[in-house]
Amino acid sequence: MIEGPPSSEPAEVRLKDLRVSDVPVQIVARIVSVERREYSRPADGRRRSFLTGLLSDGTASVRFTWWEPPNDEVDRGTIIRAQNVQVREYQGRPEVSFSFRTRVAPAGPADLPKVDSEEVPFRTISELQSRSEGFRLEARVLRVGPKVVTVGAEQRQVYEGILGDGTGLVAFSSWSDFHLAPNEAIRIAGAYVRTFRGRPQLVLDETSIVARIDPGRLPPIEALLPSAPRSLARLEAAGGSESAVVEGLVVALLPPSGLVYRCPTCRRPVSGGLCSQHGAVKGVADLRARLVLDDGTSTVTLNIDRPMTESLWGVTLDEALERLRRSPDPSLLESSLADEVVGRRLRARGRVFPDDFGLNLYPESVEPVGVELDERAKELRNRWEAARGAA
Amino acid sequence: MALREPAWRTFAAELNAAMQEERGTGERAATYLLSPYGARMNRVLLAGTLSSPETIGKDPAQPFWRARLVDPTGTISVTAGAFQPRAMAQLQSVQGPRTAMVVGKVHLYRGNDGTAYISVRAESLRTIDELTLRALYADALSQSFDRLELVGRLATDPNLPDDRFDGAPTAWVRAARDSVRRYPTVDRAGYRAALKGVLEVVEGTHAVLPPPAPTPTHVRITSSEPPAAAPRAAPSAEERAHESAFLDVLDELVDNSSDGYADLKELVQRLAEHGLSAEMAEELLDRLQEDGVVEEPIVGRLRRA
Ligand SMILES: [Zn+2]
Repeated sequence: MIEGPPSSEPAEVRLKDLRVSDVPVQIVARIVSVERREYSRPADGRRRSFLTGLLSDGTASVRFTWWEPPNDEVDRGTIIRAQNVQVREYQGRPEVSFSFRTRVAPAGPADLPKVDSEEVPFRTISELQSRSEGFRLEARVLRVGPKVVTVGAEQRQVYEGILGDGTGLVAFSSWSDFHLAPNEAIRIAGAYVRTFRGRPQLVLDETSIVARIDPGRLPPIEALLPSAPRSLARLEAAGGSESAVVEGLVVALLPPSGLVYRCPTCRRPVSGGLCSQHGAVKGVADLRARLVLDDGTSTVTLNIDRPMTESLWGVTLDEALERLRRSPDPSLLESSLADEVVGRRLRARGRVFPDDFGLNLYPESVEPVGVELDERAKELRNRWEAARGAA
Repeated sequence: MALREPAWRTFAAELNAAMQEERGTGERAATYLLSPYGARMNRVLLAGTLSSPETIGKDPAQPFWRARLVDPTGTISVTAGAFQPRAMAQLQSVQGPRTAMVVGKVHLYRGNDGTAYISVRAESLRTIDELTLRALYADALSQSFDRLELVGRLATDPNLPDDRFDGAPTAWVRAARDSVRRYPTVDRAGYRAALKGVLEVVEGTHAVLPPPAPTPTHVRITSSEPPAAAPRAAPSAEERAHESAFLDVLDELVDNSSDGYADLKELVQRLAEHGLSAEMAEELLDRLQEDGVVEEPIVGRLRRA
């Protein structure tokens, strides 16, 4: 316990160095998540709101509670400087709270502490968990590409991809362009982990530090990406994967499959001429297929885009529209697609996410696959003889 | 959570040997058929020679079709009704014995004497060539060996913990445990021997399948559980066939009804199409009611007890 009255000019503390104390501190951090809640004030029973969420400064993340916050919305991603902050402890972890004594002011990325990558502990991908923060990671870039996302009213470019280090794979999403290229070996500090569709995802922003390292320190790209199919039961037990190869038979085609119409602005499916975001729109025709792939141990739904649907079906979007003009019943198109794909043996590679109905795969590639019958027959004959010998 | 059920790769003999039914937990729980060979099946994938389908019932509003599928281990009925219009159209299009694969849900009818009658309600069905058949058999054989190995290890040491089955799907380990427990006296060597015919098809040395059997197979298995009832003499094969037909039609009517009951008059009518007279139908109904298989809680409205 520290004696004496609170200092008038508290020192700025990094989140990883927070200790429970009566002495208020000053912090600079980014609001990673925030949510407004309500409570009844015991004194007069009036409803008051407060904010709660997660702060991060690249060295660690802590929960915060902001009593008597501004009425305006406080956006996720905002960087703040807070003075006269109380540090408490909850379940063995430090937490901060802002009271009427706390001064909260906006700050910029330059105000965030510089994270020295040597200063934070080294982690492997397999050690990452949701909310992991304040670590450095060495990994090879396996996949990377730009993607435009809509944040509020604004369009922003993010860079998404997959990293591998020999212990596992992790998807990443970067708000900042680090000019990453496939096969590069990098060291990352100042990133944090969040959960996206039930899978951990590494998030990099302008405070993250990325350095190129000797590529020889990591296994080659072929060793990091799986090449052999994994049983769907194992994939399910693992809760999905950033990059998996699966193989099985198509046992069903799920709706919506075949010809679909999408909003020209956001690509969301249009139903009854309406987009859920943009109201009445003129839908743009597209092809898609949702295939249930089954390997006998479990199933995965393959979400197939237009080019892959066209190649599996052998019918292009233009041909499908032409068929629809000749016989205006879209269910005939779906039947024709089902006749073509159900029973096919396919191999697919891509990201696999779990949901309430099972696994979903967003394929990078889908291809028909054959069976080495002679080889399999020999293998089965050996097993048969071995079992007979044992019996 | 309503996880999609995988299609267990299996053979007619495994389905015909399965007589233990289980209901999963929760709302809209699925029904499973537990085999003595380590499978706990709701959905299956089968392949073999499919006979021309026959229609059951002449009501054009409620068509229902049945065909027989023969594989090297035995025969199984494959059905499709109005609720599976695609599968029904595919089944109807089968002309004469054709090599086909079927994905569908297992359906078990239990007679009053412990007789199990199993059929597969097709969800999708397609004709295939010989190489595809051999590949499907290779998958199914390999997975059957895997499951029999699990069953064998657990039969020897029932207390083996789950973590000793590295790589095996947890659902398979669970099914194998249940198989060992629920079928303690079943001889699994006979099934292993039946799989030899499958192996020969995979090897290409035995391409021709036996012709479809003239009638649906009824397989009788000794259960570890006491029989449901029946101090009376075991019914004849014909009586059992009638019983199956009765329950088959009953289930179909119940499935298609809005209130969960089959209409007695409609049932009798439909049975007439199977060559069962009204008297025989009445007699069957009496017997099945007496055995507690069927009940008539509302006059003229029937359901399974
Ligand atoms: Zn839109």
